Amino acid sequence: MRYASAEVRKQFFIEMFTRDISLEDCVLDLIDNSIDSYLLKNEISISQLIFGPDQSGAKREPGRIDVTCNERQIRVVDKCGGIPRKRAMDEIFCFGHDPGDQAGKLGAYGVGMKRALFKIGNKVDIVSRTAKEGFEVSLTIDDWAKEEGWSVPIKFVDGATSERQAGTSITISDLRKEVALRIKEGGVPKNILDDAATTYPYFLDQCVKLRINDVDVPPKPISLGESDGVVKAAREKFDYNGVKVALAATIAPGLRTSEEAGWNILCNGRAVVRANKDDLTGWGFDLASFQPKYRSFVGLASFESDQPLSLPWTTTKRDINRESGVFIHTRNLMVTMSKPILTFLNSQYPSNPATEVGDIREAVEGVKAVSFREIASKPPAGFSYTPPRKKEKRTDWVRFQAPIALLDKVRRHLRRPSLTPSDIGKHTLEHFVKTECGTD
Amino acid sequence: MIVDALQRLQQAGFPITDYQYTGFGAIYFVDFILFHKLLGMSKLLSLERAAGLERRVKFNKPFKCVEVEMMPASAAIPNLSRDTKHIVWLDYDGVIHKDFLSDIQSAVTVLAPGSILLVTVDVEPPEDLDYKEAEPSFDASNVVLGPKHWMKYFEFQASAYLKLGLSESDFGRAQLPTRTAEILKASFTRSIVSRTQVEFLPMFNFLYKDSHWMLSMGGLIGGATEKRRLRNSTLRDTKYFRGDFGAPPFEIAVPRLTRKERIYLDREMPCADNWVPKEFDLDPDEVRKYRDIYRFLPAFAEILV
Repeated sequence: MRYASAEVRKQFFIEMFTRDISLEDCVLDLIDNSIDSYLLKNEISISQLIFGPDQSGAKREPGRIDVTCNERQIRVVDKCGGIPRKRAMDEIFCFGHDPGDQAGKLGAYGVGMKRALFKIGNKVDIVSRTAKEGFEVSLTIDDWAKEEGWSVPIKFVDGATSERQAGTSITISDLRKEVALRIKEGGVPKNILDDAATTYPYFLDQCVKLRINDVDVPPKPISLGESDGVVKAAREKFDYNGVKVALAATIAPGLRTSEEAGWNILCNGRAVVRANKDDLTGWGFDLASFQPKYRSFVGLASFESDQPLSLPWTTTKRDINRESGVFIHTRNLMVTMSKPILTFLNSQYPSNPATEVGDIREAVEGVKAVSFREIASKPPAGFSYTPPRKKEKRTDWVRFQAPIALLDKVRRHLRRPSLTPSDIGKHTLEHFVKTECGTD
Repeated sequence: MIVDALQRLQQAGFPITDYQYTGFGAIYFVDFILFHKLLGMSKLLSLERAAGLERRVKFNKPFKCVEVEMMPASAAIPNLSRDTKHIVWLDYDGVIHKDFLSDIQSAVTVLAPGSILLVTVDVEPPEDLDYKEAEPSFDASNVVLGPKHWMKYFEFQASAYLKLGLSESDFGRAQLPTRTAEILKASFTRSIVSRTQVEFLPMFNFLYKDSHWMLSMGGLIGGATEKRRLRNSTLRDTKYFRGDFGAPPFEIAVPRLTRKERIYLDREMPCADNWVPKEFDLDPDEVRKYRDIYRFLPAFAEILV
């Protein structure tokens, strides 16, 4: 039997597989690992962060993550607990996770750090200290690429002086030409900040404090709304092959732009998709195409699992794997939940201009912010709008087109040349009632 | 026939009486009356989308247990209770439309196992007003619609559900029922495949002429238990049952007969295969058609008052 070579080449990883991810997403992959360290060290579950009691007042010291980004280097320094030596020796420099590895919630694929290092620069310095022990790795990627074998030289160092100081620092310098060019072009630190704000709303200020070039990253939350007795969110919760899925779809509170509207998808608390309005979540196919009148629509889909590979995210964690069974099933539900909300929003603009829409518009404006936690804690139900009790209607609109010549004739007859069409209508109606219908 | 089928399912262990029936009662509520009287169903919901008909529809409610909601199926179906089993009959009076497919998607996604979905659609060619949706600039005074236009209409409404490789010649008048059936079948499949341990089990595929030729297709959403009960029911012994949408539909053809002829024929039903009446002439084929459906024909009478 002959065999063709299927060997793995270092150049592929260094030059090819770095192309499908942006610089900003590489930095977010490093931030993911820092968050994972913190979650692991403090035994925090994703459900607790999203659905559990509010953690913002907890006594636990939040993790700190500082990102520096300039033309000379990109640096991610955290105080999130550090990496144990055993993991450094057996896991973190491998591609993919060992089945026995205690993988993080956000570091799903075991490629994020490596891909970031290869993409960003040539010189890598990693120092990580738990409270007990530490290690250092220094690497020049281009030299390492020329060597046989895949192992990485590592030096053991002392641990941190305390739990508070335990953490990891990754410094990438001698930046790749394209990366330096992008940073020089301007906007990369701001992009990282904006991306992090929208990606980590359930982590920022709840368990980690993140800074980009010394600027605090405030979370950009996903706002959901309800109003007592009038507007109730659609909600679903179920398990699908070990993945916990929670869904909410409703009207968002406050004045909104179309940009903010649409479906948001979380995987293990990390926002993978924000404000989606295309066919990924059914718009334009199972649902109507998105239009500005739907700008109050908001949906939130949360997927959670201890096996991150079973979640429907792609390796860049910026998109959804459409072949994922859990996503296909959930998407059907998301589309179904959305329909009554679109019907409701459509009713603000009825085809019959005489239809009263005041109540509908008031209901949209009166919606107040409510947390995902609160919505998901109620039993599954569809979106509902209960109009407030109407006062008995005693008047109605009378509207019609009338030839101008006829209106002028009435004006001449009444000797009131400036009488408005509306007043002519009232006058003629009253006259008819009086002369034809009598006074009873 | 639907009532007959549901009675057989009831005997096979499906608690039909406790199901909720959701349909488009309009002002006549014919199906609601049948389901309440013959099956004892009392959870009945009629949907009406024309706001102007509200008073008339509510006035004509046949029983107190019939609820009327003035909303389209697209708003009602997503909110149907997940804790109840349902019979949902989407009895559309138009040709295939993307809104119908959207309603089917919702129904197949949310209905609990054991529920039944039936969809009725007009299978005659789309008319001028229908076609204008696919081609807004269409001018009816200049063009007579034909297969080329009907194909465009079907592509506009249901492109993701059409088989590959179709051409204009597949959209002749006589082929539209088949095209529609393929679309409905694809639509049932699309939303069921991601549900775990549940399938869409075909039961009905009727073709008949009302004022227009209509197609009614439907089945049971169910897992292993429902599949077994359906297999063991007497429904499979009926002529109208269709356990496979690939088979030709059951064509309901009602022979034109006088009342006197019907009474005569009924005395001999069910008849042998080649039996024909002696007192008047009737084609054996027409006799066979009558034998297939006589049990389900309503007894109408004209009364001069």
